[in-house]
Amino acid sequence: MFWKFKGQVDTVFVDSNSASFKVDKSVNVILSPALYWVKKVSLPVKSMREVRSLLESLFEDTLPEGNYSYTAYKEGEEYLIFAYEDKKIIDILSDKGIAQGQINAVYFAQSELSNLKSPKKIDKESVLLVKDAIVVLLPAALIEADEVLDVSNLSLSKHTIRLKQFGHLVNDKSLYTIAALFLVLIILILSEYFITQAKVEKIQTQQSELFTLYKLKPTMLQNRSMLKEYEKIYKTQTKLRETLSVLLGLSLQKGHAMKLLAYKGKKLNVVFSGLKAGQEKYLITAFKRSKLQYTAKFKDQNWYVEFSL
Amino acid sequence: MNRINPIHIAILLVVILLFSILKLNAAKEELSLAKSSYKETLALAVKLDGLKRNYFDKMKVQNELGRILRKPALRSANIVKKVSKSSIILSSQNIDLKALNTLLGKVLNATFYISELKIKRLSEKNASLKMEIKW
Repeated sequence: MFWKFKGQVDTVFVDSNSASFKVDKSVNVILSPALYWVKKVSLPVKSMREVRSLLESLFEDTLPEGNYSYTAYKEGEEYLIFAYEDKKIIDILSDKGIAQGQINAVYFAQSELSNLKSPKKIDKESVLLVKDAIVVLLPAALIEADEVLDVSNLSLSKHTIRLKQFGHLVNDKSLYTIAALFLVLIILILSEYFITQAKVEKIQTQQSELFTLYKLKPTMLQNRSMLKEYEKIYKTQTKLRETLSVLLGLSLQKGHAMKLLAYKGKKLNVVFSGLKAGQEKYLITAFKRSKLQYTAKFKDQNWYVEFSL
Repeated sequence: MNRINPIHIAILLVVILLFSILKLNAAKEELSLAKSSYKETLALAVKLDGLKRNYFDKMKVQNELGRILRKPALRSANIVKKVSKSSIILSSQNIDLKALNTLLGKVLNATFYISELKIKRLSEKNASLKMEIKW
């Protein structure tokens, strides 16, 4: 009954008492006067921006408690100002079978139906009419109306509103503040990310320079293996020097002599001559004092000692 | 109503934020790895360089040995020097014990890679020597 075909988008008139709609595609919604508050005011302001900042105060003490959004447009020399509850309207639309995703645009009856020439029936109980240039909804018992409202041939204005799903929870200003904070945080994190990446690249370049500077092998595996080998040689050489230092510093008793000293492949062999079994004790004491690891044996009055390095 | 839903923008911002945090964490981990890898490479390079310079620098070994052998106490000690591709062999069939002590004192106090050493006592004052120093 209240349908209008315009291109691909149908138009519906929605009141809190409307029957449910079967909506398959996107629709334009005209809100019944029962779903918003409207005032016609004269304001000594020059721009809409100034009007918007005054809207809340203009409705002060008029509206019942709720979370309202406000809008306005100019009509002649005056302004039509509106207050509406986003969540309440969204809930009603949802009850009537119109999901939020199916809404193309939302209009006030005031902006679309202010040219009604006679009262129009909405349903058995309500009648829509224009009184003092304001579209109002009255009980059918108060006024007679023969015709039923038909929005099928209606040319819609540009005065649409956007219903905010979470408007009752967070206002626009808070939303923008939160979004701005998120953006700043993202920018800061991304900046740190790029700085960190630059640092990684710098360190990797410095690492490559180390390879060139110290003439390292191409892979760390090769270098580690080489270092292990060198450290083994260093350890053996140090041990060799420590052992030789003990041996060359020995004060041999009369008749005792170091006959041979031979080192090869981590073994240092020393042959002491002129010793009888038991006479080597002072040498053993000296070796033990210096914590030298050795094995020894006697053969033909020679004492053969082998040090492991 | 066809405008972008603020909740979609909020979700997008949260996703971007989470993605950024993940990327940053990964980059920080990469940085930490790069730093430890650099430190390891530097420590390894310094150690390798030090060991190479001390034990495996052919020129350094030859110069230092030459300086030692030119000492007055060793000049007349009949020490034969044989240089190969990777080593020097010092040998003497009969070296004075005093000269041997001087030689050993100098060589053992320097950082040479002694791969072989053989000293055989010939008499109270003499010995034979064979010493191989590698690089």
